[in-house]
Amino acid sequence: MNPFFERDLRLSRRQFFGKAANGIGVMALGGLLATDGFGRMFQKKGGLPPLPGLPHFPPKAKRVIMLWQGGAPSQVDLFDYKPGLEKHRLEELPQSLRQGTRLSTMTATQGRYPVLPAIRPFKQYGESGMWLSEMLPFIGSIADDICLVRSMNTESVNHAPGVTYFLTGSPIPGRPSMGAWATYGLGSMTEELPSFVVMTSSDVGKTCGQLFYDYYWGSGFIPSKYQGVRFRSEGEPILYLDNPPGISHDLRRGVLNDIAELDHQRLDEYGDPEIETRITQYELAFKMQTSVPELLDISHEPSAVLEMYGPDVHRLGSYARNCLLARRLAERGVRFVQLMHAGWDQHMNLSTQLAFQCRDTDQPSAALVKDLKQRGMLDDTIVVWMGEFGRTVFVQGDVNNPSGHGRDHFGAAYSMWIAGGGFKGGTVYGETDDFCYKIVKDPVQVHDMQATILHQLGIDHQKLTYRYQGRDFRLTDVAGNVVPALFA
Amino acid sequence: MGGARWSGLEKQDMRLPDLKRGGGILLVLTPYALLLAQHPAGGKPVHFASDVKPVLRAHCASCHSGASAAGGLDVQTVNSLQKGGDSGPSVIVGKPDKSLLLQRILGLGGLPRMPKGQSPLSDADVDTLRQWIAAGAKDDATEVRHWAYVAPVKPKVPTRVSSWVRNPIDAFALDRMTKAGLRPSPEASPETLIRRLSLDLTGLPPTLGEVDAFTSDRKPNAYEHLVDRLLASPHFGERLALPWLDAARYADSNGFQQDGDNYQYVWRDWVVRAFNHNMPFDQFTVEQLAGDLLPNPTPDQILATAFNRCHMLNGEGGAIPEEQRNVVLFDRVDVTATTFLGLTMACARCHDHKYDPLTQRDYYSMLAYFNRVPESGVPSGAGQYRIAAPAMPFPAEPDRSRWLALQQRVSELSSQSAKESKADSAPQALAAWIRDQRAALGEVPSMSEWEASGPYPTDTFDHAFDAKFAPETDGAKAHWNPHPEWADGVAHDLSGENAATYLRRTLHATQAAHVTLSLGSDDGVKAWVNGQLLASHKVTRGVAPDQEVIEAPLRPGDNQLLVKIVNGGGATGFYFRLAPNGLAARIVDLLRKDPTKAELQELDAFRLANGPGRKSLKQAQQELADFSAKLPQVMVMSDAMPRKTHIYFRGNYEVPLDEVNASTPAALSPPRPTYPANRLGLARWIVSPENPLTARVQVNHFWQMLWGRGLVKTSENFGVQCEPPVQQALLDWLAVDFREHGWNVKRLLKMMVMSSTYRQSSRVPPALRERDPENQYLARGARFRVSSLFIRDLALATSGLLNPEMGGKPVYPYQPKGIWDGLSITKERDFTYPQSTGADLYRRSLYTFWRRTVGPANMFDAATRQACTVRPSMTSTPLHALTTLNDPTWVEAGRVLAQHLLRSGLGSDRQRAALAFRTICQRPPSDREAKILVRSLNRARDSFRANPKAASEFLAVGESPRDGKLDSVEHAALANLCLSIFNLDEALTRE
Repeated sequence: MNPFFERDLRLSRRQFFGKAANGIGVMALGGLLATDGFGRMFQKKGGLPPLPGLPHFPPKAKRVIMLWQGGAPSQVDLFDYKPGLEKHRLEELPQSLRQGTRLSTMTATQGRYPVLPAIRPFKQYGESGMWLSEMLPFIGSIADDICLVRSMNTESVNHAPGVTYFLTGSPIPGRPSMGAWATYGLGSMTEELPSFVVMTSSDVGKTCGQLFYDYYWGSGFIPSKYQGVRFRSEGEPILYLDNPPGISHDLRRGVLNDIAELDHQRLDEYGDPEIETRITQYELAFKMQTSVPELLDISHEPSAVLEMYGPDVHRLGSYARNCLLARRLAERGVRFVQLMHAGWDQHMNLSTQLAFQCRDTDQPSAALVKDLKQRGMLDDTIVVWMGEFGRTVFVQGDVNNPSGHGRDHFGAAYSMWIAGGGFKGGTVYGETDDFCYKIVKDPVQVHDMQATILHQLGIDHQKLTYRYQGRDFRLTDVAGNVVPALFA
Repeated sequence: MGGARWSGLEKQDMRLPDLKRGGGILLVLTPYALLLAQHPAGGKPVHFASDVKPVLRAHCASCHSGASAAGGLDVQTVNSLQKGGDSGPSVIVGKPDKSLLLQRILGLGGLPRMPKGQSPLSDADVDTLRQWIAAGAKDDATEVRHWAYVAPVKPKVPTRVSSWVRNPIDAFALDRMTKAGLRPSPEASPETLIRRLSLDLTGLPPTLGEVDAFTSDRKPNAYEHLVDRLLASPHFGERLALPWLDAARYADSNGFQQDGDNYQYVWRDWVVRAFNHNMPFDQFTVEQLAGDLLPNPTPDQILATAFNRCHMLNGEGGAIPEEQRNVVLFDRVDVTATTFLGLTMACARCHDHKYDPLTQRDYYSMLAYFNRVPESGVPSGAGQYRIAAPAMPFPAEPDRSRWLALQQRVSELSSQSAKESKADSAPQALAAWIRDQRAALGEVPSMSEWEASGPYPTDTFDHAFDAKFAPETDGAKAHWNPHPEWADGVAHDLSGENAATYLRRTLHATQAAHVTLSLGSDDGVKAWVNGQLLASHKVTRGVAPDQEVIEAPLRPGDNQLLVKIVNGGGATGFYFRLAPNGLAARIVDLLRKDPTKAELQELDAFRLANGPGRKSLKQAQQELADFSAKLPQVMVMSDAMPRKTHIYFRGNYEVPLDEVNASTPAALSPPRPTYPANRLGLARWIVSPENPLTARVQVNHFWQMLWGRGLVKTSENFGVQCEPPVQQALLDWLAVDFREHGWNVKRLLKMMVMSSTYRQSSRVPPALRERDPENQYLARGARFRVSSLFIRDLALATSGLLNPEMGGKPVYPYQPKGIWDGLSITKERDFTYPQSTGADLYRRSLYTFWRRTVGPANMFDAATRQACTVRPSMTSTPLHALTTLNDPTWVEAGRVLAQHLLRSGLGSDRQRAALAFRTICQRPPSDREAKILVRSLNRARDSFRANPKAASEFLAVGESPRDGKLDSVEHAALANLCLSIFNLDEALTRE
């Protein structure tokens, strides 16, 4: 060997492993490196570090819980209160309104567009007197904590592009998702759990053909360590989390020590910092094997808390259970929790299915907000409740068959709500015309809402960028304006 | 030009060492500090684009750029700098000290130092700005062209005398590292070299026999023999195919709701074959981009064009076909530009590119090349497979040989029958035939406009096809809408699912005649003339020309044509064209123009093939057709449906602006006039010597494969924004040399791996790591984690489980239970994961079914196969560790390897542990390592001895049979040791 290198290598050995070789285990090594002159070559801890300069300004919130309502809930029936529609019941929607609005091909050529008012009455909730459907009594009970936006709009009128658009900033798959951006920018707050966790659920009847693709929580072109990790409700909660059959916890611990010791020797010899990273990741994997089952075990939750989420909380994989787990994840330092619930695509079963959807999601959604509030966590947790777009005010399907009434996709105006994290509770923002068809006041585009959410996390959406293919990409593409009116 | 290029390199030198770090390092770095002092920034002209702009971009542009630039100052152009912001001009030409830019960067004048909250600019950077302003603050954008946009010229190979230099790669590398004050690392050990070569060139580890043969081979050309053997291995093609499939976003399903399967695996095998046959890269390029447009294309050449049909396809219920078709077109432009040219064109979809000389016009002119495909934008069909026309039947292995034999027979019979009719194949005969045909062409019946009725929706496709709606029973009772806009010879969209749409028009003939109607339909079709049913085809497919060719008798006067188009799901549409005289539309086209020589041959071939006495030929053709009907339908390219292409306002297809013609980006040298103005011309331009990008980009891809990192790190982008490569001379030399030697891929790779540069040890002394963390100076070998697909292959191969069978339908190895269950929400098909059995469980990862919505769970860090990826991701996460520790693939491989060890006749723990280690890592363990391994084995043995049931459970993982005579505690303990070794960093890494 070249004597020049030989000397350096010895220097390295002394600096790095003098102590490790004397029996201080793997665990000590991370701390050792952090204080070492070489420490900057490595991640200081096993978690993901924030980018330099982030947050860009003092954040209002530390974390996000996204309650994705897949399939697109009907804002006409739930949120966008239009008592005047009743007198136009089954009248043709004025042609002048329809012109220029993008519709899906399912109704673009339908020929008739009869207006259907909300299928159930609205009522006022809370001190703010917010008008919401009587199908949402629990969300009504947190009306004073939520900021209702009635003027969302999107270009997409089909599910996958619509979901992809809101969650990644582009209707075409391939960009990093919001949770990946948040984790990339702000780093992790825990070592023992993934920083971006996804859980999915579906309506019991599976009436709705909505699927959740992994690019909804993908990392696109930024490194894959930022992608969401899906917790599954059946089998292992995280893929490959469990030891193989017959391998005990203790045996695995011993094996990992052996692997680490051999890896250290390799590191000693080769000096490749990637080896060090790998040692850390194996250690984290082991920690996760303990922390994840602990997280998922709700047996110590007080019964009052369980009751708050409703009876479904006892069913693994239900939306209610996932809402409770979202709180437990938030408590344990997970940065971004994304629940994805399918079931809101009422093309021809509005009269029956909409009520079922509300029953499944209303109580748990509200319980999560209350639960966070009780624990003092709502202030720094953003809870977002929304779907990929809204639904048409006019009937899809046979007008003369009320049991088969439905509504088609509609992107030009829809509603969502957002709570906590410095958002103003008890507020309604934005307004549509008499037919829930066009926004007449304060439109909020997809990129605007993304920019607003990032803002509360202390992120300037124009500055959180990733250079790829020679371009600085960002979540909000080339658009997006923060909507300060939503802030408390 | 040269000056700018090299000044960029010196800047790299400047930035490298961070001298403000701890004392020990400073000590070793002293020689480099001296080196730095000898290279002040001065002495060379400073250019805006190559010197100034990178500094401003790195430190200022994140706030001071774009429409919302802080303080109104945009630092991106000379103009905007001179204009300045709210505080006035930031640059005073010739007067650096009076320029606001420098004052603020230095923190003068009582204002906070810029950039705010960040570390100050280095002295070298400040000097660069100062010199530039002093020298007149000139904008050189027009004078200095970005290096990658100028065709490479073969640089002179440096002549540094050293026994280390084996070939020009080494000459360049040594020259560059010597200038940087570095020296080469020693050669890696023979064990490391054979493992490195085997993984790099085949994606598989060497067997122990191969290792022993190589390490004991004392012949001087032992290494070269090894290289040659690996390059000739059929696994070479599989290995090379993997990055290519990532680039081509190849997958076995469409993505999105329904996520129908496709047959593109037939193309995957084409790629493997092409690499194994060492197809020259220019041919490889031309065939994939435009094989269908080559003269008399072979089926393989058409198959090659599936490259541009591996895009996602959205079959959602409400998908707007034209929107989706444009998404596909965008994808095609991006994939072609990124893969072949290293250009990011996507920015120019909405506006002119900010940095690169690519305009929106360029983007849509590129798109125009691809805007001729007879496609709807959405897939059709129902059930497992959903594809989008155009598609061609093409067999995968093992049907391929039978299919080729049938084709061969048809071809032989054709030439035989051509010979038989030599008498009438004289030129005069052809001329006479053309005269007759042309005369007959004159009698074209006049046709009324189309009218349409429907769609008539039903509950099922069958019902829609069979039911007789009003237009069929009594046309007068139906409601008809006129469609004057429906031109012939173009596909038109219809609507409705499980629905029928009727079309009708009147054909007026002056005398009785026979005409040929060419129809296309998505999906099924029926057609009547004067009430007589002439065609009925119940089929699911995408629309394309000439799907049904109908002979129709016309009577004098008006004749009524009625067509029924029946759609199942997804898009629907039709195509119509009148082809008089029973001639295919193509032949009519040729007759109507002045045919070229090639076209005359085509006409002659048609005339002869349709003459009398071709019975056996017809039979053979029928046989081929029947066979083809059952074959995979591979989506391929076609130019059969030319369309007008417009620039779209902000990329929105609903707002078309100017029309554009197909052409290449204006800033690059234009295609030669002899190239056709279609995809074939584009392909020829891409591989032309004038093209500055292609050879560089491809050489860089191959370099990246062997070094883990390209000479240009951003292998996906060679535009103005990419870092100027430290090794540009080497890159250019390799690029020109590659092209000059017939784009010979194996020759190029051989040169790379034969070099001393490649053979260096990948040990990283701390000083070197500090000095050159990314190994830009090539003073050591590369060390990087193997692709997860190959990590799996490695476990299969070393355990002896690997089934080396090549090609064919994808297989379904172990995946976590319920992996696809989330997809079954649709109820439209069964999404139970159809796990393979037997040997199919152990095929190479390349052949694993790749569902685009849910990729294989144990192939972590892989490209998503949703968009083009040319730079692999190599991250390290706890989830990766969990995969290789717990997935049955590795557990089973450990068990099977342990079984071999137990039967090997080796008695001691030490011997067995050493052999396990050697089998997986291809080197014997050191004494210290062996002790740890034995300790680990004992640990597991104790654990299993205490709980023998656990041993049996552990040994039950995986479907391969186990030798029940073996002691289960011993077997389990050893299996667990093998599993540990699979998880060593060394095992996962190519050193």
